Amino acid sequence: MLEPETLVFVVDDDDSVRRALARLIRSAGHSVEVFASAREFLAEVDVDARPACLVLDVQLPDLDGLQLQRQLGATLPIIFLTGHGDISMTVHAMKAGATDFLTKPVRDIDLLRAIESALESANQRYANRCERDTLRQRFNRLTPREREVMALIVTGRLNKQVAGELGTAEKTIKAHRARVMTKMEVTSLAQLVHIVDRADIFSAGGTRPPA
Amino acid sequence: MSTLRAFHRVLSDHHGSGSGSDNESITQERASHDSLVEGFRNVWQSLPLATFMLGSRGEVLAANARAESLFDYEDGEMIGKPVSLLVPEFDDPRSPLWCNGFPSASPDRPSEATRRVVARRKQGTEFPAEIVVRRSSFQEDTSTLAFVEDRSDHYELVRNQQDLAHLTRVSTMGELAGSLAHELNQPLTAILSNVQAAQRFMAADPIDVAEVRDILNDIVQDDYRASEVLRRIRATVKKVDMESAPLDLATVIRDAVLLLHTDAIVRETRVALEICDDVPAVCADKVQLQQVALNLLLNAFDAMSQVVPKDRVVSVELALQSEDMARIAVRDCGHGLTVGKLDAIFKPFYTSKPHGLGLGLSISRSIVELHGGRIWAENNLDRGATFYVTLPIGSDTGNQRSRC
Repeated sequence: MLEPETLVFVVDDDDSVRRALARLIRSAGHSVEVFASAREFLAEVDVDARPACLVLDVQLPDLDGLQLQRQLGATLPIIFLTGHGDISMTVHAMKAGATDFLTKPVRDIDLLRAIESALESANQRYANRCERDTLRQRFNRLTPREREVMALIVTGRLNKQVAGELGTAEKTIKAHRARVMTKMEVTSLAQLVHIVDRADIFSAGGTRPPA
Repeated sequence: MSTLRAFHRVLSDHHGSGSGSDNESITQERASHDSLVEGFRNVWQSLPLATFMLGSRGEVLAANARAESLFDYEDGEMIGKPVSLLVPEFDDPRSPLWCNGFPSASPDRPSEATRRVVARRKQGTEFPAEIVVRRSSFQEDTSTLAFVEDRSDHYELVRNQQDLAHLTRVSTMGELAGSLAHELNQPLTAILSNVQAAQRFMAADPIDVAEVRDILNDIVQDDYRASEVLRRIRATVKKVDMESAPLDLATVIRDAVLLLHTDAIVRETRVALEICDDVPAVCADKVQLQQVALNLLLNAFDAMSQVVPKDRVVSVELALQSEDMARIAVRDCGHGLTVGKLDAIFKPFYTSKPHGLGLGLSISRSIVELHGGRIWAENNLDRGATFYVTLPIGSDTGNQRSRC
């Protein structure tokens, strides 16, 4: 798969700091987009569009860095910058999944290293997401009945047992099972179980497998 | 001999002149004359004000007891000494007290103006004083009387007030230290990142000269920005004598708001300015008025700490109250003030805050009143309270003598 271009977002309300950070990040060969506020960032950025990380000032007017982190959830790796990070603030941010917590003024190697590792994890997340999206698309091609059948066969039930549970003939289940395998583009039950697990299909709005 | 000279002879001769006469009527006349002289001398000696009679070259012809004790001279010791030894300003050609050819060279000078001067005791120690010089003609002679009043107490009071004001300024800055450190940290952050970016750009081939030029410009600006923050801090904490100068209140307000920039962000408080630019300058001490502005803003911030962040707005308004009065209004959206306390809050050591000294508003009031203005608080109709400060426009601060 072709590596998609990564992007570094910078949110800092201080014009000069923002410009300087953007230059520094650009000087290391990354693409940069800057925003003066958390709201501006939320309004303009589709965080899923490509692998990216966020360099975020903690102290922002209106919506501060920690609040923005809460709103974004785990969608992209965040490197926090702060003028005076106290311990509780740092712990709070790290628990909420911050990649790094750096103090201003920040040394170039510290920031660039943090960005490298954040982008690496962003690439990983992006690849996972692409894979998941592909698998979801395949899953979406299944009929409701095929989904029911798949939910049961991935738990290791035999065709006969599935037929019993769904109140239908074994050979009907066999036909459903073959179509599931074709549509999900797998050749073995083991592969099917693997991708169902990877794509987290049943927890994302699909039919829950019976307990 | 002129009458005044005779007086001075009387005043400086403590024992009288006892030339013997055997003529009884002359003796009686002499006796009544002597008792008059004695009475006059007693009055002169008991005047509660240090009083000098000065000769035409500025020499002391006579000095009363209060004058001798104030300047630490022995009985009669001052006679004949130049008055500039006591009040050096008499030697300064730029001063209206200048006594070259004294006093005939300056008949047009006001004879009764009170001047603040530095006076010098015999041992050389100095003290603040006020002097009134009165030139009077009596019969054919002109003489000069100088009255000197010790103003040490007054200046002590002013200095104490200034010390206290300084102390609260320093403590305010202490409270703001974290925010101000952040204000300084921002330009330092930008400078470091810019320099390190420039080092990387310089290592590239070809070098992006335009980029490096932009970086250098930004570094210069950030350096200015950092020193501006330091200037504002220094201007606030410096310990200086009060000095009045024409002052643009809009600048004072904007400076105070800038000092609180980060503090406002941390406290999630917005500051809205409604500045009327037509308000003429007032004559005031910049540091002190800035202290008042800081104080009112910080109080407004504190008043809203229990309010939901989106409602935390302080509005600062500068407008003309009347044609000779400027008015600053600092309005908060807090819970307002208890009606009975609208005046009590200006008393020293009154505080509603767990960590407050309770001096902010009382010092603000003494500063405003020293400038001939007024400060008061009102509850708003909807919510919160507004603090008003009025100050006279132009050079007349109403209390010139309090300035030093």
